[in-house]
Amino acid sequence: MLRRELAEVKARELGARAELVRSAQLATLGHLVRGVAHEINTPLGALASNQDTTRRALDKLQQILDDEVVTPDELVEVRRIVHAVTAVQETNLMAVDRMKHVVKSLRNFGRPDRSEIDRVDLTEAIRDTLDLLKHELGSGVTVQSDFGALPLVECYAQQVNQVFMNLMMNAAHAMGEQGTLTIHAHSLGDSVEIRVSDTGHGISSEHLEQLFEPGFTTKGKRVGMGLGLAICREILDRHAGEITVTSEVGVGTTFTLRLPLALPVGEPVAAFDQTKP
Amino acid sequence: MTDETLDTIMLVDDELMVVRSLEGFLTLETPYRIVSYCSPIEALEAAATEASLRLVVADFMMPEMDGVSFLKEMRRVQPEATRLLLTGYADKENAIRAINEAGLYYYLEKPWDNEHFKLVVRNGVERSSLFNELSSRVSALESAHAELSGFREKLVKAFL
Repeated sequence: MLRRELAEVKARELGARAELVRSAQLATLGHLVRGVAHEINTPLGALASNQDTTRRALDKLQQILDDEVVTPDELVEVRRIVHAVTAVQETNLMAVDRMKHVVKSLRNFGRPDRSEIDRVDLTEAIRDTLDLLKHELGSGVTVQSDFGALPLVECYAQQVNQVFMNLMMNAAHAMGEQGTLTIHAHSLGDSVEIRVSDTGHGISSEHLEQLFEPGFTTKGKRVGMGLGLAICREILDRHAGEITVTSEVGVGTTFTLRLPLALPVGEPVAAFDQTKP
Repeated sequence: MTDETLDTIMLVDDELMVVRSLEGFLTLETPYRIVSYCSPIEALEAAATEASLRLVVADFMMPEMDGVSFLKEMRRVQPEATRLLLTGYADKENAIRAINEAGLYYYLEKPWDNEHFKLVVRNGVERSSLFNELSSRVSALESAHAELSGFREKLVKAFL
């Protein structure tokens, strides 16, 4: 009887935890969607304008050709049209390259199979996450990165990307319009260390103790649900890694991640599948 | 194309693809001289020596300086040039700030519509030309007034 009740309580707890994880994933997805929409907006605007410009240019050329005799004045006009079309043609290539890059970053970020283990180049993963999130950073925020040569890390790539995204979002919110986001990554032999530092408002020592607890937030209800860092710690635990934080009010905050190069032996794959309660 | 007495439009956006697209379109569809910059600081330096700057189009989000601060500074450097803000952020707060602080003429959103953009640019150039003409007429009136005052003084002295 007691055993059955215990099993029910445990199942309920697992269910509630899975629900929290799903909520955090939805929040991550929201940021991603906004990032992609923003990143695509500029090249899309350029392409739409260029398509219209090219059509107008063709109409003008057609009008000149319709006369059958090209006057010297019209020749000057043709040169002007060619100059304009050349400018927009170059821009088309830039816009297409930008969109390709966004799709590549997105592909790397959102691996389709959550339970897929990959050997991942974490510097590339950090860069992709930064590309998708840069619109969240204030206009006066500069990004500095210092990446040593990193070995490939065996991990659940999407989950690790989710950690990077959470830390960068927190840094963006802490800094507002001005500041410096610094990302260091280097090898420690059998593991890698990644530090994400911001020059934001910092966290008081009393809040630091609660930081990784589910539901803890200083941002107010509209910004986050306070799940981000709890999920980060859970993901790091599951990779047999760790996440620590140091902070000084008015100076900034640094999160340090350590990830072993290989996943713990015998770790059941299902334990990493966040969609299953 | 390089005749600096022509009515001039300045385009400023840190995204090269945006300035080049706008430049291509305006070159094709308008008679104006177009100058483009990806750096608002360089644009401000260049604006100081532009003789016929009629209109400035600036992006909102730029790493060196935001569009509102840039246009505010531009207002000081070239007060008669019409100022347009082009933005990917439909943000009422910034629009109000831009209108109040930078004396903004128009607020355009990305992605823009070429035909609408052309219309706004043409009206903006016309507005700036009218301001310019008005300033010249006011100056001419002031000199005429000064000259007349001089004559009057001479006349009064001659008769008294």
